[in-house]
Amino acid sequence: MTAVDAPAPEAVPDDWRAPTLSDAEYRWRARRYRFRTVRRAAGFLSPYLIVWGVFLAIPAVWGIFLSFNQGGLIKGDPRVFVGFDNWTRTVSDSELRTAVKNTSIYVLIAIAVVFTLAIFLASLLNHYKKGSNFYKVALYFPLLAPPILGALMWFFMVNFDFGILNLIKRTVIGGDGIRFLGDNPHALLTIVAVEVWRGLGFWVLFYLAGLQSVPEELQAAAKVDGAGKWRRFRRITVPTLRPLLLFALVIAVIFNFQLFDSVQVLTDGGPRLGTATVVWFIHKRLFKFQDTGLAYASSIGLLVVVLVLTALSFWLLGKRRQREA
Amino acid sequence: MARDVTTDPATLEEAPPPEATDDATAMAARLAEAGRAKRLNERTRMILAYVVLTLFVVIAIGPAFYLISPAFRDSVSLFTYPPEWIPSEPTLDNYRFLFSSTSYVRWAINTLIFAGSTTLLTLATNTMAGYAFARLRFPGRNLLFFVILATLMVPVAAVLAPTYLTVNTIGDWPIIGNWIDIDTYLGLILPSAVSPLGVFMMRQFIETLPDGLYEAARLDGAGEWRIFTKIVLPLIKPALVVLGIFVFMLTWASYLWPLVAATDNEFRVLTVGIASLKGQFVTDWGILAAASLLTIVPVTIVFLFFQKWFVQASMAGALKQ
Amino acid sequence: MAEVILRQLTKHFGSVEAVEDVTLRIPDGEFLVLLGPSGCGKSTILRLIAGLEDATRGEILIDGELINFKDPTKRNVAMVFQNYALYPHMTVYKNVAFPLETARMAREEVAEAVQRAAEMLEIEALLKRLPEQLSGGQRQRVALARAIVRQPLVFLMDEPLSNLDAQLRLQTRLELMGLHERLGITTIYVTHDQVEAMTMGQRIAVMKDGRIQQMGDPTEVYDVPANTFVATFLGAPPMNLISGSLERDNGQVSFRFEGYELAVDPATSVIAPDTLEEAVGEAQLGVRPEHLTLASPDAEGLPGVVRFLEPVGSDLFVSVNVAGHAVQVRMPPDTQVSTGSNVRLAFDPARSHIFGADSQNLRS
Repeated sequence: MTAVDAPAPEAVPDDWRAPTLSDAEYRWRARRYRFRTVRRAAGFLSPYLIVWGVFLAIPAVWGIFLSFNQGGLIKGDPRVFVGFDNWTRTVSDSELRTAVKNTSIYVLIAIAVVFTLAIFLASLLNHYKKGSNFYKVALYFPLLAPPILGALMWFFMVNFDFGILNLIKRTVIGGDGIRFLGDNPHALLTIVAVEVWRGLGFWVLFYLAGLQSVPEELQAAAKVDGAGKWRRFRRITVPTLRPLLLFALVIAVIFNFQLFDSVQVLTDGGPRLGTATVVWFIHKRLFKFQDTGLAYASSIGLLVVVLVLTALSFWLLGKRRQREA
Repeated sequence: MARDVTTDPATLEEAPPPEATDDATAMAARLAEAGRAKRLNERTRMILAYVVLTLFVVIAIGPAFYLISPAFRDSVSLFTYPPEWIPSEPTLDNYRFLFSSTSYVRWAINTLIFAGSTTLLTLATNTMAGYAFARLRFPGRNLLFFVILATLMVPVAAVLAPTYLTVNTIGDWPIIGNWIDIDTYLGLILPSAVSPLGVFMMRQFIETLPDGLYEAARLDGAGEWRIFTKIVLPLIKPALVVLGIFVFMLTWASYLWPLVAATDNEFRVLTVGIASLKGQFVTDWGILAAASLLTIVPVTIVFLFFQKWFVQASMAGALKQ
Repeated sequence: MAEVILRQLTKHFGSVEAVEDVTLRIPDGEFLVLLGPSGCGKSTILRLIAGLEDATRGEILIDGELINFKDPTKRNVAMVFQNYALYPHMTVYKNVAFPLETARMAREEVAEAVQRAAEMLEIEALLKRLPEQLSGGQRQRVALARAIVRQPLVFLMDEPLSNLDAQLRLQTRLELMGLHERLGITTIYVTHDQVEAMTMGQRIAVMKDGRIQQMGDPTEVYDVPANTFVATFLGAPPMNLISGSLERDNGQVSFRFEGYELAVDPATSVIAPDTLEEAVGEAQLGVRPEHLTLASPDAEGLPGVVRFLEPVGSDLFVSVNVAGHAVQVRMPPDTQVSTGSNVRLAFDPARSHIFGADSQNLRS
């Protein structure tokens, strides 16, 4: 039926109206024709899907299975199925509890500080535009260095003997230096400072972009109406930024909850677990090969927390889009 | 109606009520004075603002400068008090040591291979997938996209063990195991090229290209691959650059996965390598400073040339627009 | 060059019926215009033929070959888009050469073909430019060159003139007609502009709500509109329609409205007597403005009062109130008439139309 005879329209004028294909054949060929898009899509998708599937999707699912097991990460340490044992112990393990506590404290302080500073600096840059490009670039600088290097730079800054912070302290206030990384709670606060230093530039640019989306006319109108600076900030700037703020908050929690690099290189969790974080805990347990089961279970816990927060961020982003539309 | 004549509403706030004086010249003088006071106030505020901004800039870039002095001196001289800012005997010993007695060069090369390949792989796979999601109609498209997008934020740590096991398991397989294993380049690279951020970005970007272009190209006889390479790729170059910088920066800075996947010094990357220079108990500060400084300088130079792209790339990660 | 046949072509987008049961045959070399308001499905028909949409039902044949299940890349039809869809990153030369290079034609042949097309459309001087450096009219030409360069079987044009200014539109219209004459390629041209349709189309298919309302050569469609939609869509100002009813008294059918009565003679109105008998009931009387004349109040015809005068230079349009209906009359520009005056409207029954309750023209 593929070769259709061309009707001779002049000879048999109305013959051309009759359909060539039966309904059944038409449907079958239509389906086969539509299927070509699947073949094409498969061609374009498979490179990514293979990498993603093998190295992310399958491991994620495997991880759930692993959380009911102990060991199996290296040869000589066979995997043993332990049921819900790991999960019950996540609740009671004191080291993990400390790690979660530290991480939460860190997340709270770091985000509060970095957001406050970022919004403050962003509004300054938004107002004083002269040379703002230089300031933006300079503030962005810490992001260039890998977290490890950023942390190492601060390793010099906070050194007990020659760190500039202690030099200043000794000169200005007097007395002995501060053991920034050797005492609690200084160590965790130092980690906070390092991470705030690293992230500040990003969030300044982030909020600056948000501020610049506040309509200029709105500001001008409020000014004409005699609204003071603080009032304008509260009544116009904050409402405009609020959807952005919530989204940013969720994203920041997701990122900061994974704190690891600077902890690993600066304090390795110490002193006395004072800077132990969740990811540090997972890494430690996995690759010191002690109680890997607990690490398996906490990995999945982390995964669930992040997935929930991701869903929340999408929801917030969707709401923001809706509002803009 | 006099209010309308004054153009600057700010001046008005400070102005005395009109009935205070009938004398027009006195009134003008007072207005001018108020304006001056206001302007003075403005100026102090501005100076204050720039002082604050500058302070933060010093904090932002200061730590990098604080590495310079230790990098060019003997570690022992660091501990003298009062501190000696400019080394009396500057030396390149730290660098000599770095190049001769550590694998710094090897690490740097590995980092380039690692970040470069990951970037290229990500660009290729993500752009193709983004194209499929943006332009091709196939059943289950939205569901698949949603599932992939759900993994956008999955932390490396959360899948560290199973990913390690996956790579390890593949390593035991014949032939392919020679290429993909712990302590191989591919074992390091492939799990680093999984993030769907680029798929999402590329889909968004390709969707903004007008439909007419695809339709015209199809009627001109071009198949999907030809449309992709001849029409789409040239038109999304800016997005490719942004994504490329973003992925490269993220990859070369990454630490956790390289830490466990490349333990052999032959495959170790800079972040892991430099971190290993900081000893567990004793640190050779000079070498640490030298290595850190040497690593930051080239990135900074590249950044200063392409700063516009960098900033866009970092924003792309968060705002995705 | 090819004959195009559409058989019961139907396209639904969800619950929207974009194209409904369209059957038509376009002989080889014809210039067919699909005319209709926006959203009537005319563009969808083009996209179905091109393969940019898949039909829900029905068949498309080019030269007798069923092409429904043939990829658009292989259908060998060319389309000119409303916004031209030039590749912004390619020079004009590259744009025009793209279909040929896609077909893996040899480099010299490509150059030759591009040159020929460029000459035909007078864009030789522009070949090295980028689309963004061209004016609207020039882009239009480049789009046309890209379409003709590979000598397609069928030419599809989707409102190609709508982005041009009025003067350029007129000029391009003539050029398109010349081009069609020269190349003789079967062309399907979509527009909502009745002037374009009337002047360019060898045949016109008037569409509404996904269905073809009437198909025929321009004069036929204009002179004997199949229904009230076609009657009012073509012509500016449109045909006057007066609602009333057909009633029968002692074997004589007449059209009545608001107390007026007009006898309808099947012979002069060109209506089959049986059809007229069947149509008794609600009806509309239709007369084009140019077929009405103003007569003095004591003459024969429908009485009315002049409301507005619209002199447009070549004509004088007179709006007359006839029992609450506004009726447009086209008169010579020098007609002496003033608003408020009583007039009578006379017309030739042979030039008038009666539309039945189903809005169809009763004429056979």
